Amino acid sequence: MSGQFWTFIILAVVTLVSTYRMVTASLITHAALFMALSFTAVAGIFLLLQAEFIAAIQVLVYAGAITTMVIFAIMLSGLRDIKQQQRERITLWRSSPAVLVVGAVFAAFMLYLYSTANLPAGGGERSVVAVKAIGADLFTTYVIPFEIASILLLIAMIGAIILTAKEAES
Amino acid sequence: MELPIYYPLGLGALLFGLGLWGALTRKNAVRILMFVEIMLNGVNLNLITFGRYYWQANPETAARAPILTLFVMTVAAAEASVGLAIILSMVRNRDVIEVDKATMLKG
Repeated sequence: MSGQFWTFIILAVVTLVSTYRMVTASLITHAALFMALSFTAVAGIFLLLQAEFIAAIQVLVYAGAITTMVIFAIMLSGLRDIKQQQRERITLWRSSPAVLVVGAVFAAFMLYLYSTANLPAGGGERSVVAVKAIGADLFTTYVIPFEIASILLLIAMIGAIILTAKEAES
Repeated sequence: MELPIYYPLGLGALLFGLGLWGALTRKNAVRILMFVEIMLNGVNLNLITFGRYYWQANPETAARAPILTLFVMTVAAAEASVGLAIILSMVRNRDVIEVDKATMLKG
């Protein structure tokens, strides 16, 4: 087996184990840190699939920004999760088998679809997609979705500020 | 390309299943949001995999998968910021963070 295969196996094991630990972690801060580890391992898999730009965005947005935001939200919500961890842990193990079956059935269904799908053989010479090509396409063919995405981000920012700002006038 | 396409696709499916398990099991709203992010990450992995194996050979379609993934990430970031803001205002005004106790809309 090649180095590419073993690199993928190691990254996949890190991803799955950290996501599993995230589900079962009793402290929510530990879950947030395991989420960051899972995102970083998936960024490595993106590198393996020759998507360097997306790997960089994954590290910046997911492992950096979203993890930081989640930790801020945990701290601002007063750490009440710690007091209730014991009770939630009991409910987790009491209710998890059914939900685990739902998740496993869903994953198994997708794996079944992939294994029976008549996928065409992806042939031809493959080269790395340059960031230049992504930028050129983004600002010509996909310029309208790009602008809509920027408006979406602006609206999300304004909405988050309005929702969390304390009433200064009162 | 020695790596069969089913390996990264299977990893994406397993990530989605794990995220679904966590999102349906936990009651803390912040945790549920975290698992939704994990599920979106599995979807992104599938997008990148299909782009890598079928679109990357053709220069005309090569940039499609990264651009599509970029839009998914944009929506995920917007969703996370607004969702966390809603959770914070819920904690501040009603002092609940468990989703099964947020029953203000119940008639």
